[in-house]
Amino acid sequence: MNTPTLKRSAMRNTAGRRSPVRILTAVPICDGHDSAIVTINLELVRAGFEVIYLGYHRSVRDIVRAAIHEDARAIGLSSYNGGHVEFFSEVLNGLHRAGAKNIGVFGGGGGTITPADAKLMKLRGVDEIFFAGTPLVGIVDFVKQRYAAPPRVPLNKAQAHIESTDLALAQELTLTGTVSNRRLVPAIVNRQPQIVNQTIGFTGPGGAGKTTLIDELVLRFLRARPRGRLAILSHDPGGAAHGALLGDRATMVYAQDDRVFMRSLATRGRSGGLSTGTRGCLELLRRARFDLVLVESAGIGQEDAPFARGLVDKQIYVTSPEYGGQLQLQKIVMLDAADVVVVNKADRPGAKTALAEISQRLAMNGRGQKLLATVARRHGDTGVNELFQEVLR
Amino acid sequence: MTVLARVCDAACAFEREVEAQVRKARSDATAAAAWRRRWGQIRERVPLVETPTGLKLPRLALPQTDEPGEIARFLFGEGLPGEFPFVNGAYREMYLTPAAQSAIANRPSAISEEPTRLFAGLGLAEDTNARFHYLTRHQKTIRLSTAFDGPTLYGLDSDADGVFGKIGEGGVAIDTVEDMERLYANFPHDDEHFSLSMTINGPAPIILAMYVAAAKRRLGPRATAKLRGTVQADILKEVQAQNEIIFPLDASLRFLTDMVEFTTKQMPRWYPISISGYHIAEAGATPVQQAAFTLSNGFTYVELFRARGLDVNRFGPRLSFFLDCALDIEYLALARVCRKLWAIGMRDVFGADERAQLFKLHTQTSGRSLIAHEFKNNLTRTAVELLLAYANATNSCHSNSADEPFTTPAEEYVRLAAHAQAILLEESGLFKLMMNALAGSPGMKIVERAVEAAVLDEFRELDQLGGVLAATELRYQRSQIQSAAHRYEQQINGGTRPVIGLNRYRATGDSPEVKVVRTPRAKKQLQLDRLEKFKRRHRADCGRALDQLAVVVERGENVFAELIKAVEHCSLGQITGRLHELVGRYRPLI
Repeated sequence: MNTPTLKRSAMRNTAGRRSPVRILTAVPICDGHDSAIVTINLELVRAGFEVIYLGYHRSVRDIVRAAIHEDARAIGLSSYNGGHVEFFSEVLNGLHRAGAKNIGVFGGGGGTITPADAKLMKLRGVDEIFFAGTPLVGIVDFVKQRYAAPPRVPLNKAQAHIESTDLALAQELTLTGTVSNRRLVPAIVNRQPQIVNQTIGFTGPGGAGKTTLIDELVLRFLRARPRGRLAILSHDPGGAAHGALLGDRATMVYAQDDRVFMRSLATRGRSGGLSTGTRGCLELLRRARFDLVLVESAGIGQEDAPFARGLVDKQIYVTSPEYGGQLQLQKIVMLDAADVVVVNKADRPGAKTALAEISQRLAMNGRGQKLLATVARRHGDTGVNELFQEVLR
Repeated sequence: MTVLARVCDAACAFEREVEAQVRKARSDATAAAAWRRRWGQIRERVPLVETPTGLKLPRLALPQTDEPGEIARFLFGEGLPGEFPFVNGAYREMYLTPAAQSAIANRPSAISEEPTRLFAGLGLAEDTNARFHYLTRHQKTIRLSTAFDGPTLYGLDSDADGVFGKIGEGGVAIDTVEDMERLYANFPHDDEHFSLSMTINGPAPIILAMYVAAAKRRLGPRATAKLRGTVQADILKEVQAQNEIIFPLDASLRFLTDMVEFTTKQMPRWYPISISGYHIAEAGATPVQQAAFTLSNGFTYVELFRARGLDVNRFGPRLSFFLDCALDIEYLALARVCRKLWAIGMRDVFGADERAQLFKLHTQTSGRSLIAHEFKNNLTRTAVELLLAYANATNSCHSNSADEPFTTPAEEYVRLAAHAQAILLEESGLFKLMMNALAGSPGMKIVERAVEAAVLDEFRELDQLGGVLAATELRYQRSQIQSAAHRYEQQINGGTRPVIGLNRYRATGDSPEVKVVRTPRAKKQLQLDRLEKFKRRHRADCGRALDQLAVVVERGENVFAELIKAVEHCSLGQITGRLHELVGRYRPLI
């Protein structure tokens, strides 16, 4: 295991404050009933939780993996399509096998889960089942009371049976994410050499398709490197004082794979697209066992350039053709900083103009920056293939 | 300008034309005389029926007026049942039992099909088959409606990772063509009056291919042209609301169009798509959103199929619709508005002939309106919804079972649900005597106008966003539906939307234990064993069939005919697996 081990007690002293509680929510496989969970997500965010939403039609494997990667305190499952007794049990078993039995599991399913089912499910280790008619505030109160405090099992004791290195890495990331970079980074950097030699930063305005693009690159990576492993560090906005909805995973298809480690970070009130913990997390990931690390910033504004010198090896700026005209282009700082500029959604009207204008803008820089046109939502898009070659280069 | 803007223009032009006709009928003596003459003839032609107590009544209720303007407004603006713009019904005659039929003079005595069509699916194919036989044992014309289990709906085999618990839950498990043979065994598939419906979308072309293959196995190669029924296959509403889509949208639309092209040419009695608002409403949409999104999806399909070079007059009559009917007052006229706008759009925007203008409707009572608390109240909810559905002249109807909030319905509640329809249609004198007994009240007309205006507003919004496909990609419908769902929940939580037994008159104490229907482990295991045997038997042929399918996909040819061949040797999951490699996976919109 290449994950550096940090002294947990020391980290807690440096940290000085506790990180927000993280809850993973999902809808089980073969079930698309997401209306209840979408409402509950919003309520939990309002109550100050960081909610990592995995989306609907998710397998036990995907859910357990995500909960571990995200170091979630608990998993909330909304099941309306039957088979819940088996499904919840399999999630609990999966957590057990991964040494993560301190992650709680709760859920509901309107009227489909009967009181008798709920009794059986709780017997098997589910913390709570909510029935139809439970007011939302009742669910939020439960999550607050049950999961706001650290788990009852002391963490180091729970770790006694850890078989999964992903679990250890995820917990280190949690600690790293809460401490100030200045103190932590030298501690990590001095201890172990860097393994990953390619860290790629993706940034751009919200809605440009960064997450889809990354997911498509993951597909190509998994096919090109049958044994390769890849890490993704993804950022979503969230205020300092309240929770955040981390939803990138929900729209990812190919990144749900055992060879992909993915962590979602909330910006926690920091502007500029990244989090205070980003640098530390990245240093950890560079020293873990990955062949490639991809970082996705939250959506940024014109004057943001999230990847300060040295943070990543290559910066990719992703935009849609709708950036507001040539004059606006002059103000986008990332067009100076990026190594590669991608115009995604290049099948939209206006893409030709966008490519011409951006190409002109980049020529003025005279740095030989690459400009690519992609349609990430199109399967097997040749532009994405080109981008993949650029990423590997 | 998108097609929706053109539909709005056509609807406004139609209203102007109605007003012009009314004015002319009032100001021009010749026109007035012509309307009066026609009105007299129509009234004379309406047959009389006799109530059990001996009262004579007309089979069709007409407005009580002799004023030419009002006659014109009714005949031109609403139309008689079966006449443009079909506000009062798609067909001239409905809800006639054979007994009542013979009582009416001058009508051919062809079998009239019963509107009852009950949705069923549980356990393995043979269990659902038994339920189908139970449901239809008293029906003169057999109309089946099939629910599939989760793995089937998502194109997965029963042996896929982590789906064991879902095998046969909430619907029937279908992995292979052999399951399909068992599912519909001992039904007369080539009978003129037999029809079946399959509620499946993402893998719809593969499932229909299995049905065709199963029918050919049983009835020979010429059976294809005789098959009659519907497959839901409405992929747009999946993206917007129900989330049961497995291939990317462009690939899904291509496979759908391939299937429609095939059925249009070779299965003239098949309805290859059921354009559905039901799931849009169940996901939380308001009644107006349900109508607007369903109609706009429908017009979008028409555009797509025409772009393939298909003739609107050939595929148009094979389109049908599926709506939810809940307790909101909007449902008093929702289907009337839909029939009218569909007819105007098809005639005036697409130039379709009369058969292609019909909004043929299957209604299901609202599942969302049912609750687990004191669930027997659901019988009453469903009964009221049924009344609204038939007052809207639905062409067929499913009534939900009272125990559905917590289980696949038990036989007892399925029976009660079926009997609710029988009581309304056979015991009660309402529709069997006077087919439109509840139509045209002032209240209904006021609701109708308000709903129509709101639907057209929603069309304009979609048009502004660039049409249905662009709006879908922008998540417009999804976010509209989600916020409506949120509002609905808040109203129930806050008590402003009364739900009896839940936020009003709630019983104290524990609710009694309820009986649930689940698929036993041994059955799930049996399904796995069957699948394994099938895969072993076809190991060599399967690879070849999939390669051949891949060639067709890559060449851009019609995949449907190839699917009919592939299902002989490949399971559902094997086919979707290969198609995923070729066209990718659906990326969820959140």
